[in-house]
Amino acid sequence: MIDHYNQKPRRKAEFIRPPNTLKRKVGSGGLSEELLNKAEALLENNAVDFRPLGEMYLEGLKRGIDAARAASDKADPEELIAGMLYPGMQLKANGGMFHYPLVTSLADHLIQFLEVIAEPDAHAVEIVEGFHTTIRAVILGQVKGDGGRYGAELVTALEDACYRYFEKYPENIEASRNAP
Amino acid sequence: MSYDFHSISIEVVEDNLPMLELAKSLLLTFGVGNVITARDGEEGFRKFCESNPDIVLVDWMMKPMDGISLTRLIRTHVSSPNQYVPVILMTGFSQKRRVIQARDSGVTEFLVKPFNARDLYRRIYQIIERPRQFVRSEDFFGPDRRRTRRDDYQGPFRREGDFMNPETARFRLEERRQAQTKAEEILTNAGLKKGDKFDESLLSYGPDDIDMV
Repeated sequence: MIDHYNQKPRRKAEFIRPPNTLKRKVGSGGLSEELLNKAEALLENNAVDFRPLGEMYLEGLKRGIDAARAASDKADPEELIAGMLYPGMQLKANGGMFHYPLVTSLADHLIQFLEVIAEPDAHAVEIVEGFHTTIRAVILGQVKGDGGRYGAELVTALEDACYRYFEKYPENIEASRNAP
Repeated sequence: MSYDFHSISIEVVEDNLPMLELAKSLLLTFGVGNVITARDGEEGFRKFCESNPDIVLVDWMMKPMDGISLTRLIRTHVSSPNQYVPVILMTGFSQKRRVIQARDSGVTEFLVKPFNARDLYRRIYQIIERPRQFVRSEDFFGPDRRRTRRDDYQGPFRREGDFMNPETARFRLEERRQAQTKAEEILTNAGLKKGDKFDESLLSYGPDDIDMV
């Protein structure tokens, strides 16, 4: 109750409703299913070769891994994590757009791992390297689609590695550090 | 009848060329009349000022200027031709804190990559049919971080400014009136007048019988 009265006064805010010129221009009724299917087909049939792009992001991830390994104690952990996180995010974002959903799935787990750890210690970097090696194998082997049973096994193996890490080093989980 | 996108222009800002081409092709398939492209935030802002598009579709991670910084420029720079333009941010991030970060920079919609044609269309549809009102406060200018109020919403509004809203005022007054009636009913049943000391033993019903208003 006392906390309620100790709250800071709420900010004053002005609300503005801009004219919806877009609606006036496009009319109503949405887009037809036929047109949306045509657009979906365009995405599904795009012939972009993801490999050069994937290789470029993998190189970025490798640079991030090397930087984390070589870093001194004074290095900013957040910066080191970002060096691995951003290329990981690009792999996740673009893999699925260009017929490599398994890359997206693996990179998604990598991102979740990097978003959770507080510091890129040697064991964490080892796990990131595991992701790098696996994603590289998928791209070089041109494993398109979800990879079937093989793909699911790869995802599970890396997921398990992350869980083992969290069990072993709970103190390196960001949320546990910020807990009251 | 269906949407006619012929007369609108959309700017796509994306550093990854295949992705830029793909997004452009999707928009052209939707029937968008003019698709403007840029490869980073700086070029994106320059072209935005030149062509004043109806929607901006922007990637988050770009160098030298990323999508978040571009959104801030669009919302606050004096040269910005339209501070209210809807901005759709494309990104591989989907964690809550990232969404909040994007939202706080003034982004209108968040589109997680990889996406399909219907995902992109749904964001555009939301912008057209359920546009967000804008909020200007001491430290924020951008689309209201809550979606535009639905007409069938029955509950109270929490923002200070919301009290100006007639629906909110009516709701609060009704709430107060009901509380007053309940208090009078308790006093009458207990045979008390205003200002009398309240004695629980005089009550003919227990606390469970009282509805909290």
